[in-house]
Amino acid sequence: MARYKRIVAGIVLMAACVQTLAGNTIVVRDAWVRESPPGAPVLAAYFSLENTGSKADKLVAVRCPDFENVEIHATEIHDGMARMIALDTLTIPPHAIVKLAPGGNHLMLHHPRHAMVAGMNVKLELHFESGTGLTLLTPVRRAESGAAQ
Amino acid sequence: MMVTRKTLTSATLVAALGIILVLGVLAGRTFRGPARVTSNDGMTVLEPASPLPEFRLHDQNNQVFDRARLQGKWSYVFFGYTHCPDICPTTLVVLRDVQKLAGGQDQGVQYIFVSVDPERDKAATLNKYVSYFHPEFIGVTGGQDELMRLTRALGVYYERGKARNGDYEVQHSAAIFLIDPEARLRALFAGPHNAARLAQGLQRLKGS
Repeated sequence: MARYKRIVAGIVLMAACVQTLAGNTIVVRDAWVRESPPGAPVLAAYFSLENTGSKADKLVAVRCPDFENVEIHATEIHDGMARMIALDTLTIPPHAIVKLAPGGNHLMLHHPRHAMVAGMNVKLELHFESGTGLTLLTPVRRAESGAAQ
Repeated sequence: MMVTRKTLTSATLVAALGIILVLGVLAGRTFRGPARVTSNDGMTVLEPASPLPEFRLHDQNNQVFDRARLQGKWSYVFFGYTHCPDICPTTLVVLRDVQKLAGGQDQGVQYIFVSVDPERDKAATLNKYVSYFHPEFIGVTGGQDELMRLTRALGVYYERGKARNGDYEVQHSAAIFLIDPEARLRALFAGPHNAARLAQGLQRLKGS
C-alpha cells in the first residue's frame, strides 16, 4: 500500500514537472502536512513556492478534498501576541521563493474528513492567477523542531 | 517687602519640590515592579521573581490545577488553544524538544499548556491534545474568571476573534513563561522559540 502511494506520488510529482516544462513558472518544494493530535479540527500545510518566471504570480485558491475548507493564512506575532490573518491571495514575486513554514505563512486545513496520520498523503490543488494549476500529493509528517535530534 | 516676597517665592519653590518628591515616591511605589532584564537569548528575567496569586483551574483529567500544583517544580507554561493550527503545535513541539534535551528524566520540571478557549477545550479534548505531544505534558483550563487571575498576573493577553464559517480564532500571547518552584514568575521567553535556548535559560536560572 505504502509502495503504491509512493508510485502515485511520483506520478503526480512528474506531472507537476511536466507542467513546469510546458511553461509554468511555479515550482513547489518540500510540501508537507503536519500530523495533528487525534481529533484536532485544524491542520496546517507547508511548502515553498518558487517563481522562476519574470512576472509575479499569485496563489489564489487551494482545494483539498480531504478537508471541509482551506484558507491561506499568515501567523503574525505583534507586541508578543500571536494572531492569524486570512490572506485572499499570496503573491510570489518574479525570481523569488515564498515559504510557508511553521510560525509564518501556512495553509489552514479545516475539519479533516478522516484522521490524518503520518505516512498518509493529502491531495492539494493549488490554483494560481496565471492559470497554472498544480496538484500535489503531500505527505503527512510528524513535526520535529530539529533542536533535539 | 522685597524680603517677604523672596521668602514667599522660596517657600513656594520648596513646597513645589516637596510635592514633586512625594508624587515621585508614590509613583515609584505604584509602578515599581520587579526589574526585568532581557538577555540576547530572548529570555527576560524578573528580579525579584513575582509571586502568582491563588487560582483554581482544572487539568486534562479534571483534577484541580491551582497554585499548589506549581510548587516544588519548575514549570514551562504556554497559553494557546487546540483549534490553533500553527503556532500552538509548533510551540508544543519545541517544548517536547526541551524535555528531550533535559534527558526526559528531569522530574523537577513540568510542561503546561493552558487553553484560553475553555468553551471548546474541555478536559477530554485537552487530554488527547497534550498527550499527543508528550504523555507527561499537562493541559489546563477553567472558567474565564479563574483563567484571568492567572493570565493577568503573568501579563498574558488573549482575545476571541470573530466567528467565520462557524469557527473562531483566539489571539493569544506567544510567550513561554518559566515559573519557579515557589510558584513565582521567574522569566519569560518571547517567540520565536528555540528548544536549546529554553533549556539553557532554565539551567542558568537554576545555577543563579
